[in-house]
Amino acid sequence: MSVTQRKTTEEVVENLHGVAREMYKRMAKGEAPTMTLPVRTKNNIGFDKKLGVYKYGSKRSIRDATSLGSARQLLRALHIIEFIEEMIDSEKSSTLREMYYISEAWGHGKFGSQNESNNLAEDLEIVTKCLREDFKLRPEEDGARMIGNLTLNERNRRGEWMRINARDDVGDSGYGVPYNVESEKIELVEHDIDFIMAIETGGMFDRLVENGFDEDFRCGLLHLKGQPARSTRRILKRMNEEWNVPIIVFLDGDPWSFRIFASIAYGAIKTAHISEYLATPSAQYLGITADDIEAYDLPSDKLSSKDVEALKAELSDPRFADGWWQEQIQMMLSLDKKAEQQSLAKYGLDFVTDTYLPEKLAEIGLGP
Amino acid sequence: MARKSSGMQQASISEFFEKNKHFLGFDTLPRSIITAVKESVDNSLDAAEEHRILPDLDIEIRKVPGKKDELLLITRDNGPGITQKAISKVFGSLLFGSRFHTIRQTRGQQGIGITGVVMYSQLTTGKPTSVISKVAKEAGAVRVNIGLDTKKNKAIISNEKRFPIEETNEAKGLHWIGDHGIRIEARMKAKYQRGKQSVHQYLKMTSIVNPHASISFRAIDEDGSIIDEASWPRVTDELPRPVKDIKPHPHGLEIGTLQRLLRDAKPPTEGGGARTPLRYFLRDTFSSLSNTRCEEVIELAQLSATRKPGSLKPDDVNNLLAAFSKVRLPAPPTDCLSPIEDLLIKKGLSKAIDSRFVSTVTREPRVTNGNPFQVEVGLIFGGDLPGDQPIQVLRFANRVPLMYQQGGCLLTKALESVDWKRYGLDHPGGRGIPKGPAAVLIHLASTNVQFTSEAKEALADNVDVHDEIRLAMLEVGRGLRNHLKKQKQKAKAQEKFELVNIILPEIHDKAIAILEEEPLPLAPVITKIMNAVFIEEKVEWEAEGKLTRASIEIYNYTARPRAYTLLSTWPEREGVEMVDNPLGGRREAKGLWAWKLETMEPGTSTTVSFAVNGLSKGVWSEIDIFFRGAGDIIGATKLDEEILAEMLREEEAGVEHEDEDDVDSPEVVIDSAAVEESPTVIVNEENEEAAEPEQGWFGVGRGEEE
Repeated sequence: MSVTQRKTTEEVVENLHGVAREMYKRMAKGEAPTMTLPVRTKNNIGFDKKLGVYKYGSKRSIRDATSLGSARQLLRALHIIEFIEEMIDSEKSSTLREMYYISEAWGHGKFGSQNESNNLAEDLEIVTKCLREDFKLRPEEDGARMIGNLTLNERNRRGEWMRINARDDVGDSGYGVPYNVESEKIELVEHDIDFIMAIETGGMFDRLVENGFDEDFRCGLLHLKGQPARSTRRILKRMNEEWNVPIIVFLDGDPWSFRIFASIAYGAIKTAHISEYLATPSAQYLGITADDIEAYDLPSDKLSSKDVEALKAELSDPRFADGWWQEQIQMMLSLDKKAEQQSLAKYGLDFVTDTYLPEKLAEIGLGP
Repeated sequence: MARKSSGMQQASISEFFEKNKHFLGFDTLPRSIITAVKESVDNSLDAAEEHRILPDLDIEIRKVPGKKDELLLITRDNGPGITQKAISKVFGSLLFGSRFHTIRQTRGQQGIGITGVVMYSQLTTGKPTSVISKVAKEAGAVRVNIGLDTKKNKAIISNEKRFPIEETNEAKGLHWIGDHGIRIEARMKAKYQRGKQSVHQYLKMTSIVNPHASISFRAIDEDGSIIDEASWPRVTDELPRPVKDIKPHPHGLEIGTLQRLLRDAKPPTEGGGARTPLRYFLRDTFSSLSNTRCEEVIELAQLSATRKPGSLKPDDVNNLLAAFSKVRLPAPPTDCLSPIEDLLIKKGLSKAIDSRFVSTVTREPRVTNGNPFQVEVGLIFGGDLPGDQPIQVLRFANRVPLMYQQGGCLLTKALESVDWKRYGLDHPGGRGIPKGPAAVLIHLASTNVQFTSEAKEALADNVDVHDEIRLAMLEVGRGLRNHLKKQKQKAKAQEKFELVNIILPEIHDKAIAILEEEPLPLAPVITKIMNAVFIEEKVEWEAEGKLTRASIEIYNYTARPRAYTLLSTWPEREGVEMVDNPLGGRREAKGLWAWKLETMEPGTSTTVSFAVNGLSKGVWSEIDIFFRGAGDIIGATKLDEEILAEMLREEEAGVEHEDEDDVDSPEVVIDSAAVEESPTVIVNEENEEAAEPEQGWFGVGRGEEE
């Protein structure tokens, strides 16, 4: 648990100073200041056998201040470093969006768009091997919601621990996962479930809740809300590791769902620097698979040109290199079809809980 | 044309109008008002020019209350006026006037004339046209209402009255500008519109090519409120050159014309008695034929110098025509043409359209089919012009705007034949009108403008004219490309300056603040990043003192001391002088000044500045900078000594070359092999597979080692 080990604030500050130090050293030598960081594309991610997830490879890019654009990036990075130090000192935190607005006061270091500031914050995470939680930067992104017989301790704003059972202490919308799910905020207490099912769409989540699937199948249900937030992936990983419960992923049947699964199981390209902290390599893809579309004769849509493009990109993505995925992707391409989770409703509202899921779960040995 | 003289023919022309008003510019309601304004304005400008008066024109359009699509047009000028006797002829008869048989450049040859307005008013509203005229030598003004009998081609005169001078006042419409002039009031079915094809645009275009005229305009709604108002004051007191009638030039004559001239030959003016020997006929009938040339022609045609012109057989005429084309002849006299001249085009364009860059060319007069013509082109770029649309094409023939049938016009076709992509405009597929924030003015001055139809809105194809326009376009195109290249270089240099002067110091300050370190010297870092010598130049107008000041700043951002001789172009010509030049230097060649600079240490800069008087605002805005010395300077070009030497030889021999506006600026190509320490290369990557070779006076293809 080398990187997963949380850093002390001293270490965080020291690592941030390293970035400024690189620039300073270059200038002292009479050279243009630089910032060195890994190349962040799928061509530079590789499987880390020890960690079981995909990490950035050894390709480095050097951002140097010989062009105006790069020089501005360096200046912005320094402003962020200074800002983070200030927050650490004053025990405050801010959202990425707040930081974007605060940068208005940074003169030539101000950001052109929020995307720029998000990317640069990520750059700093990668270079310093810290987490943005260490930087006191929060995303606005929504965490997931959960329902099921599992109990957590969450430290509330007053610093008190609250014990919450995600079946008995919550309403129909479930337990909301906060943006920080580290041990200083969340403790996993106990559970009485056999697996956790992560679900892509709110409609399907609600369907399973209404049908009482969590009780019938002794499982936890988690709504991913599309591409899952970091905290969602992190809490899945913690439950998997600390409780040793399997993670089952139930998504739409399209190229974008494949990517969601890859980010849960193997690590996302954008966050490959912290894959071992976010990814759950043992997660299993339940459906909708390409062959489900045929086998269940599901209502489907034709692939758009973007879908085809995405599938083709996945064929050369190292995360999808294994035979089963190659088969699924090829099959979807040749079917030229994609299907939504909710297309199962073609056979009635209970079909998914009475027939589809039991059949699929039985295939992987998780029957009721 | 010249033989339409009988009454019969005139009458049929009046009928022709009634039946064919669509040919004559009165086909649609919006167009009719433009045509009416045009006929009136053309007449006013022609008359003022002939009488050497600086024209003041006022045009007013009123919507007639309660009548749909009926307009009252009131035009006034300060021209010579017309005597009472002549009014009915000028306004009531087609083809009246003195200029129909002469060869000369006039505006009026393009329209049916003011008679058309009278006819159109008569036909659409039944109302006569009211003309009030005042000539300088008469004490009072005269008013005549003119209707038209289109069958008899006669004016119907009514309400004729003479007003003593004291009675003239504005309220009665008895008002003109100054001591003489004409006021015309016509009422017609027409529709006032705004936009590309409008009276407003027509007058704006007219003002561009008539910089000596002051034009004011207003359009008034039924309720008396002003819909549209504009005025274009004159920007020069210089009247267009007086134009002279000329004789036909032998080159490019058509056989029919030659046969007619031979048949109509009159007795010679000298030396021939009753007989008309061919040699005298030739000398007296054509321009550019001296006695020697006449003999040459007659010999080539194998004819006898004493033959009577009328006795030539068709074969003889053919031989004569062939002989004409074989002799080298001076161009026809061009004082029959009145070009606007590039400086005034520049002024006119700058006045009417806000832009960043103007390039103009007035070509030398040429001859086609025995008619002299001259092409002028102006190109403006930048400013408020929209960048994603086809460029504006402003077409003119003899200073008259052409507003319709753009696509079918020779001027447009010549414009489209240029590959504008090479000159920095977007030109999809190399076809059609290029796109970009630009406008192009094309002016054809000619004694005989050939139109595609009676509508006289599009010029007919002509290879000679086409080629001349194309050449002029290439010339302004090169000017544009040069300008854009410079802009690009400037922007890049600007970025580098911002980088080292603003961002880098901030990076440094932040870094040492975070690390709590001592400050570092930044000069070595700056040198490392820039590693080049830069030039920043600007040319600015100083209203106080009416000076144009150029300043050139040279920065040595390399690790070594640098020494250069700097050379700059300037608009050297009569009446223009350098007035403030603290560094002295010397004249290197015409329009080229040189300064030997002190050695610049790394990280230092030097400024060369000088001012020029005798120019008006905006006339001079771009300079080209050259240098002698090692390495390269970003923003300047290494001087090509061979070309300079050749230029000096020609200057000595008295060969006048194009002035500074036309100098092609050479490409700045940096040959890194020739430069020490591989400096930052800021080069325009432009594909230079030149179809037409570009040879600037000072140009070098590639940086050579010193």
